[in-house]
Amino acid sequence: MGLFDRVFRGSAEMYQKAEEELAKVIAELGEDAQMQMPDTAYFLSCIYAYLGKKVTKLSELRDALAEIKGKMTTNYRTTDVFSSGIGTAMAAEVIEATKYARTPTPYEGTVYHGHFSDAEVRELGVPLVTQDIPGFVVVIGPAPSTEEAVNLIKGYQTRGIFVFLIGGVIDQAVEAGLSMGFPVRVVPVGQEIWSVGHIISLVERAAMIFGAVQPGDWEAFNEYSMARIFAFVNAYKPVADIVVACGGGAIAMGFPVITNDTDDMWRVPKSLIIQEDTEDFIETSLEARDIKIKITNIDIPVAFSTAFEGEIIRKADMRVDINGARFDCFEWVRSQEAKDIEDHQIIVDGPDIADIEPGGSMSLGVIVDVAGKNMQPDFEPVFERKFHNFLNCIEGVMHTGQRDMIRIRISNTAFEAGFSIRHIGEVLYAKVKSEYDTVVDKCQVTLVTDKAKLKELRAEANKTYDKRDLRLRAMTDENVEVFYNCILCQSFSPAHVCIVTPERLGLCGAVSWLDAKATNELDPNGPCQVVTKKRVIDERVGAFEDVNEAVQKYSHGALQQVTLYSILEDPMTSCGCFECICGIEPISNGVSIVNREHTGVTPLGMTFSEMASMTGGGVQTPGFMGHGKHFIASKKFLKAEGGVARIVWMPKALKETVRERLNESAKELYGIDDFCDRIADEDSVTDDPEALLAFLTEKEHPVLAMEPLL
Amino acid sequence: MALKGLDIFKLTPKTNCKDCGNPTCMAFAMKVAQGAVALDKCPHMSDDVKAQLGDATAPPMKKIEVGSGDDKFTLGGETVLFRHDKTFVSKNLYAVAVCENGIDEKLPEILKVDYDRLGERMYVEFLYVMYRGDAAKFAETVQKAAAEGRGIILEVTDEEAAKAALAVAGDRVILSGANASNYAAFSKLATDAKAVLGVSGASLDELYDTVTALEKLGNKNLILDVAGETVKETFANAVQIRRAALKDNDRTFGYPSLVNLHKVAHGDAHLQTALAALFTLKYGSIIVMDGVSYAQALPLYGLRQNIYTDPQKPMKVEPGIYTLNGADENSVCVTTVDFALTYFVVSGELERSGVPLNLLISDAGGYSVLTAWAAGKLSANSIAKFFKEQEIESKIKSRTLVIPGKVAVLKGEIEEKLPGWTVVVAPNEAVELVKFFKEFVKA
Amino acid sequence: MAFKQVPQKFTAKINPLTIGEGADAITLGGENVLPFYSFDAAIDNAPKIGIEISDNGYAANIPGIAEFYAGAETLPEIAKKAAAAPGVDFLAISMEGAHPDNGDRPVDECAKLVSDIAAVVNIPIVIEGSRNVEKDAKLFEKLAEALQGKNVLFLSAREENYKSIAAAAGLAYSQKIGAESAVDINLAKQLNVLISQMGVKTDSVAMNLGSAAAGYGFEYVATTIDRVKSAALAQNDNMLQMPIVTPVASETWTVKESIVSEEDFPEWGSSEERGINMEIATAAACLAAGSNAVILRHPESVATVSKLIAALI
Repeated sequence: MGLFDRVFRGSAEMYQKAEEELAKVIAELGEDAQMQMPDTAYFLSCIYAYLGKKVTKLSELRDALAEIKGKMTTNYRTTDVFSSGIGTAMAAEVIEATKYARTPTPYEGTVYHGHFSDAEVRELGVPLVTQDIPGFVVVIGPAPSTEEAVNLIKGYQTRGIFVFLIGGVIDQAVEAGLSMGFPVRVVPVGQEIWSVGHIISLVERAAMIFGAVQPGDWEAFNEYSMARIFAFVNAYKPVADIVVACGGGAIAMGFPVITNDTDDMWRVPKSLIIQEDTEDFIETSLEARDIKIKITNIDIPVAFSTAFEGEIIRKADMRVDINGARFDCFEWVRSQEAKDIEDHQIIVDGPDIADIEPGGSMSLGVIVDVAGKNMQPDFEPVFERKFHNFLNCIEGVMHTGQRDMIRIRISNTAFEAGFSIRHIGEVLYAKVKSEYDTVVDKCQVTLVTDKAKLKELRAEANKTYDKRDLRLRAMTDENVEVFYNCILCQSFSPAHVCIVTPERLGLCGAVSWLDAKATNELDPNGPCQVVTKKRVIDERVGAFEDVNEAVQKYSHGALQQVTLYSILEDPMTSCGCFECICGIEPISNGVSIVNREHTGVTPLGMTFSEMASMTGGGVQTPGFMGHGKHFIASKKFLKAEGGVARIVWMPKALKETVRERLNESAKELYGIDDFCDRIADEDSVTDDPEALLAFLTEKEHPVLAMEPLL
Repeated sequence: MALKGLDIFKLTPKTNCKDCGNPTCMAFAMKVAQGAVALDKCPHMSDDVKAQLGDATAPPMKKIEVGSGDDKFTLGGETVLFRHDKTFVSKNLYAVAVCENGIDEKLPEILKVDYDRLGERMYVEFLYVMYRGDAAKFAETVQKAAAEGRGIILEVTDEEAAKAALAVAGDRVILSGANASNYAAFSKLATDAKAVLGVSGASLDELYDTVTALEKLGNKNLILDVAGETVKETFANAVQIRRAALKDNDRTFGYPSLVNLHKVAHGDAHLQTALAALFTLKYGSIIVMDGVSYAQALPLYGLRQNIYTDPQKPMKVEPGIYTLNGADENSVCVTTVDFALTYFVVSGELERSGVPLNLLISDAGGYSVLTAWAAGKLSANSIAKFFKEQEIESKIKSRTLVIPGKVAVLKGEIEEKLPGWTVVVAPNEAVELVKFFKEFVKA
Repeated sequence: MAFKQVPQKFTAKINPLTIGEGADAITLGGENVLPFYSFDAAIDNAPKIGIEISDNGYAANIPGIAEFYAGAETLPEIAKKAAAAPGVDFLAISMEGAHPDNGDRPVDECAKLVSDIAAVVNIPIVIEGSRNVEKDAKLFEKLAEALQGKNVLFLSAREENYKSIAAAAGLAYSQKIGAESAVDINLAKQLNVLISQMGVKTDSVAMNLGSAAAGYGFEYVATTIDRVKSAALAQNDNMLQMPIVTPVASETWTVKESIVSEEDFPEWGSSEERGINMEIATAAACLAAGSNAVILRHPESVATVSKLIAALI
């Protein structure tokens, strides 16, 4: 028999029961008898929500039931399953309502809760909306054993999930002496399946109260519960037709049903899930409904706080030294398929701190596997770079470096307090899950200390690092779809907006295009927003209509337009935190670049801070521009003015930092070798433009053959 | 729109002759664009070019100097309506109104308010002396007022009385008396006495016409009395005049303003405080009050100091040791940056804790903690250098140093640079300091 | 040649936000011009003034305040006196005694206190938080319930707790929300976006952009308010068009100028005068920058600022 038939049959069953019960109560009380649920302003809220009907007496309930029957259509389309399912829920509400027609307290003296008051809806609704309660589960059944029932309920409790119980599972909870009630977030609703009507009533009222959904707007109610109410159903076998019909309603509302029943059952992806191993109900359910559990505390024996970020562990206080310069060590984030990893699994492979002689050294490879629907490999390095901050916050742990050049020291005190390698995993797990909860659903940490295995793993990690570097190098402004803006420093420089592109990182040097992308996706309302680049105005100078619009918007109107590749025509503005400034040197027709660390004067006759005072503050200053160090070697640097060949002067230290890549760019652009040697520095020229010109002439600097700048 | 440095550079001789005192023409041009250097410092530019640039680089609102030499007052010269657009240039000044025969009782009160806040002298800059019919008394009062070293504003429309007063008013004087009927004579009076001429009008239109007429006479050394009949009208005038000059480029109204609260809010000191605050934000150049007590001065001068800071040059406090709550050489040391706001907030909280502490302020370029740290102005090195320069170790016996929570990362490095010191990390936010130090003392 | 006036009337406007019920309800915002620029276009709703008391009563340490509240013993009596002070438009109740380090008054007790006040006061009520984000989240949920139907403005919804406050006060009990940020236009905007994403309508939200006493970094306050108003009106940024409510007293009555005694600083004169002038000057500066409401403590400050507003509108 098909799933459709089971739903339709269960639906009819519920209707028949409702009709019987209603007839009975009308016979008892008369059709004019008042009908109201206690402590609610929303009447019979399933009926009020879906049909827009305010039921206040039994005759109206009878009319409503007739309308419900009309919703229980059986045309073998999915919509019929949904419609019948919702109809089943409403019929369930009718059955329960008949009890309240006789007395406002039909469940008095029982363990069952029955109807929820508006106050209870608000009390549960607020944390549901804020996701302080990440979701709720409706458990129907008896579980295979009392023990298993208890494990399931407690498992949900520890994850903060609200639990509603229906049927035999309540008896099991009572038998186990489990504490139940609203405050402990476990509520036994009722023995029969129609008590589910109370839960649906609660959901509909939440939609009306918190979502301002209008009664009668059938679709809107389903959309609201789908988008905002993170609920799901666990139904133990055997699942009767009437339960299947209720399940149809649940699915229509966006609540997946997880069951271990395989008889006459069909898998429907994301909606009806068969999990035969009931011990895995929790994980399967949370995944099905996209529920992420917040991590609030980190389980380690020492303190964790930013106050320890600056702690230095001296050799004498050191229990163990992990040194990537001497041994095979690395930190490596890998994106994985959700099914391949287990959340919160922490594996230590090899000796622990206790196995090392005091003051000795060990190797450590940290592999953090993450999975999530929104996870992208581009986030891996973003996470990795944060490990330094995470691990440094541990009391008694000092961390420097990244990738395979890490260094970690663990203090004697930390070790004596019980700190072991595993706790590094606990910290990384907790921080990755909480800081990146928008993209990480599952996280597993492997800590390899077995030297024999590390060599190979390190080589593998290096392959990933190389691949990433290559990807970064291969990315150009032309081969990405969008740019990002960054307004992190607007508190200092109110009108400034950075446009971050693959070939032009933020002028502070700290925000690359990938960082901006990750920031945007991890914090969609944060300081980095997508900037499209569809409407080109002038390719040569890097002018786009979309970029100008973004600049106008994010500078709150202070700036009208910028170009990305020109220092003369509407150059990008500067805040105050740029790594370098370049300014036009008119005698040579080139530019001088000076970095923040350099205190001496430049051939322009100005120092870094003099130039900074003229360039900063989000004001466009043609001829001057702040930028990041890594922009210097970019092929987009001063592209409109002829590119890097315009660079005539840089402090020596800066030149060394960018030498390799700048030489490469110059070779590629102009076919010149050893371009950096042709650039003057403070040893050859300080503030004399004539001497600069002489130097450039002697070195045959390409700028001498270029068009005048001004 | 002001000219960009590059446009100015194009008109320089480009010889890098250094005659202007700058190493290159580019550096010179950039400074001219900022308004930091006058165009005529370059001896080699032709008069044509200077005239051409002069108009373009002249601010839409004139800068008016009252007096000459080191103790002159500067008014106006603003280029923007909102400080976030660039910066305000000339802070507003406060004046106290005295009647021609009321100076003796008021003067001691006026002179009482004279103090320093972050290196700025806070006092009543001008006395606003009002002529009431007795020319001799008026002159006598003006003379007394001028003797106290304050600038003088003469409120007078009688030519003879004005002339007599100008003779004894000193050189920092504003003759506030020109109107539609007497402007020609008063313009001459002011010009002869090298005084700034204050102009008033019954309406904005009349004021506008009078200014136009004065400019035709060649007098562009003006200040505009914006007072109307009511507070509302006065505020409307102040805003419209400034807005016309800066936003709508109407240079006829490109002069500083005089706001006379004595006239529109006479006798209500609290309301005058409120109005003075309002006009400090919105476009008063000189604000005349019935009096300025300490109670009024403290908030108003503080407000003015805030509003007229250059957003790019934060206010700083002097580096050094500040003893709090009766601290001595054995008291714990706390350090933070020299950014004035940080200093005020932190020292306020520390004082509230009641714990004796030595607050050590090192030179961090006037930045806030995180900014200074990011800019390398606050580091283990900078702190160690400060300790050495100030000889902290010989002045203070305590060896405990509390550092800001936001730079917890410096702890280890500081301990290495300052052997023998224990470095403790404070909370991130100043509001948590009271609790922190109360508990710190207990422990 | 006459002066050519160029009025600056914007097509965008600040959202009008009504708080309170019945005849005493007030509306903040609604204007389409810069603050007090009534020469550009009429301003329908003058800026409003709140008088601040706390769950602990009145600020007895402020000179002159005890005299004003003389005879008022219970919190409702104090509230009634405050509400009757000349120039007051609304009553602000700061829940400072609920802070865990400052008495930790239980949530239920707080709810009882404000209900008792609401029972005797007709003017609109604004609730300020305890300055503890966790506590405020729990507290506001209960207070929103206790003050159902009073159309109360709950200030102090911060980045850390806006979800609970928006859900409880904004959605469950249809009260008004004040989004509190720390003098930064982008943070202010981000918080407004987040609150609206919770389903709270933007016209139910006010902003507290942060405050400072005159002389204590007030330039940041002035500039932030300037920029927010300019973005709201000139850029038509609907995520910054909420009216601005600025608590002034809590900043001005803690600075040295207001609190040191006359004995310690004889030349400064009466500390009450100093405190009042500091409160007045700061409030006037906030209003000049663009606050649609200020919250003050001293009845003399309230009266003066009320005169200022009346003179300008």
